[in-house]
Amino acid sequence: MNLLKISISGVRGIVGATFTPELAVNFAQAFGTYLESGKILICRDTRPSGAMVRSAVISGLISTGCQVIDLGICPTPSMQLLLTHLNARGGIAISGGHNPEDWNALKFVREDGIYLNALQASELLDVYHQGEFSKMPWNRLFKLEERNDAIERHLSKLSQNLECEAIRKRKFRVAVDCCNGACSELTPRFLEELGCSVVSINDSIQERFPHDPNPTPSNMQQLRALVKASGADIGFAHDADGERLGIVTEQGVPLSEEYTLAIVTEIELSKQAGVVVTNLSTTQAIDEIAIRHGGSVIRTPIGQAYVAETVKEVGAVVGGEGSGGVILPKIQFTHDSIAAIGRILEFLALEQRSISKLAENIPLFFMVKRNLAASPSTIYANIQELRNSIETDAEGSEVDYSDGIKLSWPDGWVHIRDSNTESMIRIIAEARDRTRAETLADWAQSRLRLRDVSD
Amino acid sequence: MKPIRTLKISISGVRGVIGDSLSPPLLTRFAESFGTYLNSGKIVVGRDTRTSGEMVKHAVFAGLMSTGCQGVDLDICPVPTVQLMVRKLGARGGIAITASHNPVEWNALKLIRSDGCFLNSYQAEELLSIYHQGDFRKARNDKIKQIKRNTLGIPSHLEQILKHYGPVKWKGRRLKVAIDCCNGAGSLMTPRLLHSLECDLVSINTIPDGIFPHPPEPVPQNLTDLCRLVKESEADVGFAQDADADRLAIVSEKGVPIGEDNTLALAVKFLLSQERGTVVTNLSTTQAIDDIAQVFNCRVIRTKIGEVNVTETMKKEEAIIGGEGNGGVIFPRINFARDSMVGITLVLHYMALAGSPLSTLVEDLPRYYFVKQTVPCPSSRVRSFLNLLKETYSREKMDLTDGLKILRPDSWAHIRPSNTEPIMRIVVEARSEEAAQVWAREIIAKMGNG
Repeated sequence: MNLLKISISGVRGIVGATFTPELAVNFAQAFGTYLESGKILICRDTRPSGAMVRSAVISGLISTGCQVIDLGICPTPSMQLLLTHLNARGGIAISGGHNPEDWNALKFVREDGIYLNALQASELLDVYHQGEFSKMPWNRLFKLEERNDAIERHLSKLSQNLECEAIRKRKFRVAVDCCNGACSELTPRFLEELGCSVVSINDSIQERFPHDPNPTPSNMQQLRALVKASGADIGFAHDADGERLGIVTEQGVPLSEEYTLAIVTEIELSKQAGVVVTNLSTTQAIDEIAIRHGGSVIRTPIGQAYVAETVKEVGAVVGGEGSGGVILPKIQFTHDSIAAIGRILEFLALEQRSISKLAENIPLFFMVKRNLAASPSTIYANIQELRNSIETDAEGSEVDYSDGIKLSWPDGWVHIRDSNTESMIRIIAEARDRTRAETLADWAQSRLRLRDVSD
Repeated sequence: MKPIRTLKISISGVRGVIGDSLSPPLLTRFAESFGTYLNSGKIVVGRDTRTSGEMVKHAVFAGLMSTGCQGVDLDICPVPTVQLMVRKLGARGGIAITASHNPVEWNALKLIRSDGCFLNSYQAEELLSIYHQGDFRKARNDKIKQIKRNTLGIPSHLEQILKHYGPVKWKGRRLKVAIDCCNGAGSLMTPRLLHSLECDLVSINTIPDGIFPHPPEPVPQNLTDLCRLVKESEADVGFAQDADADRLAIVSEKGVPIGEDNTLALAVKFLLSQERGTVVTNLSTTQAIDDIAQVFNCRVIRTKIGEVNVTETMKKEEAIIGGEGNGGVIFPRINFARDSMVGITLVLHYMALAGSPLSTLVEDLPRYYFVKQTVPCPSSRVRSFLNLLKETYSREKMDLTDGLKILRPDSWAHIRPSNTEPIMRIVVEARSEEAAQVWAREIIAKMGNG
């Protein structure tokens, strides 16, 4: 399998195999050239390879005349927030996000804190491939600047936008699993400042990831036990860089990652009706919640940049993705799991509710996700072939071609598309009952004739 | 004329111009080659003050980390400090980021092995093969080691010098010493050394910001500021260092540069007056060294040009002192490297011991005159020129170790192709300036006829 992926989600690969220092240097040079120098922020998560990638990135950026500001280990949303505050030209987050520890990635951020969109990413790739990078002479090289106030700024921005006093009064007991990632310092501090009694595990940036950093129910077993043992009111799980959030209820039930955005959407729309932006693969529960509160939903292709740009464009009240990423535009236009934690606690405090009650209020759907291994040479043909036969096969469905193929029926939908991060085709099917969802997924898989390689 | 190509990947490492040929990916690959060559392990990295040093350092660290090396960051410090720390820390190797005496827009990597010496030509060839093959070691995520910052480089270096030589008194008083560190790496160490030696200090260009006030090569034409400082401050001596503080130039109390070759001559004379032993230097260094050694009945061994050739021979012969005529003094008891701080210490102690002004000590050295010339010579003509000269001087005593050296009783001529440029270097030394000039002209004329 090809373990390097260059796409709208950045450049990612496995360190020791495809993700080499030259690659990181070259991409940093390309980014510095693309932005025509200027102030660039960088940060990284806690992966051991982060230091290597950091050095490569610093070298490449300095050589193109950028003024590099290194925030060290800190959550990606903290960097994005500081970036807009400092009016920087761009940023690079060095983080494999939810990917396993041996992966790493460069994620390119533009001046408004949002990731490069597909067109910009493709322009950057053209610069990279052409290989003619800006080369500044000795007297136009900037010194590296190191800053450690990104977390402080993030904390103060959050407290300005939350009813902290109400949260403090509730004296929540909160369990948190930072996966020894970039949120290990920020989240426990944030919770303490909100008057919570914090029970935290895996909050050391020196340690390795204790489990896969994707905050899905299967990776929240430790947190679930912690919630039960400590009698916590709620449990939160972070990925490695603070973009995705997973939730465990006070009853010790790990919620599907689809719930995170649904819960925050319920919270935001209950305060103010408005537009919700999410991607095509995110749960239909979002639409039902919107209808309930007199709001509306805009669906975009998969990729944070699409969602974030649309949130900004239409003035949405909330946005995000079913993977656990939430955008709260009052804070910033990027996935910010710490902001999401704040919003959830604020709501529970103000409404005197429990998280399980709140979750019960989310319309119940069953989602089936399958990953089909496909060689890059066949992905396009596979999807195209399916597209051609749909007219006759999937009668009565509503078809959306904006990212792969999404077919929706009144009682469920199935979305077939190529992955942005790995060489595979993803099938996501959702329905009110499990059997129907499985049937929809089976149908798509049989049309594609590919093997399921999901864990 | 075609623009001169600035990139040079050779047995001396990799060297080029920032913003032109010396790019981060190239440096990273070179560091990966070195990490692969050494099979991981601890690698000590230091740099001079050049503004490009930080960019180069990070490119190097990315390469070293990716091959599983444990990088140790000394940051700005003299090259001899890096060499000393490689040995002290039991490291597997080192990288000094410096273009030494080259102008400010240049930078380079100098590769150091576990004994603190630079790679010799055979080792460098091996490394280059790895570089060209491009098949580098790749450490997995969990084998990547975080860089360790080490601030003990300069303190350890000072301590090592002061273990052997203490404060200086000259005729019962403190010496007044003028220094010009060229805003290079010496800025961080030389003032401290002189305070420890209890000298009074007047200094210029000791801000380690890499903005060189003059070209960093410590040759007489770059020493005018220091000469003026010595005179105006009535200092007893002036010292000038290059950007990485391996080479040393000296100005007498009269405000006159004594000539780079005399740096080594003074150090050798001082040491041999204290103890007997073998001296090693290269073929192009002044004959004064032989004359001094003869007085003390000591042996001089000559090597090819290149610091590593001198240091390796010193090891083999257990020499007590050595160095190069460009101002590089090697005193193995303190450091197995060209070390201007060691040079300063030896010269000051010589002054103290003799109780005479520096100019007198220089006058007492055997007097020779140098002519150094370069003649353009494409690589295709090198052999034929050398052969022509060999025929011309076939009846005279010759040394063919490095190019051609013709030895006469009180003069010599050394003709060799440059390692770095398409030129032939001609060095003639004789008892009078005129004699040196005449012979140099004769050689150049022969080459012209060829």
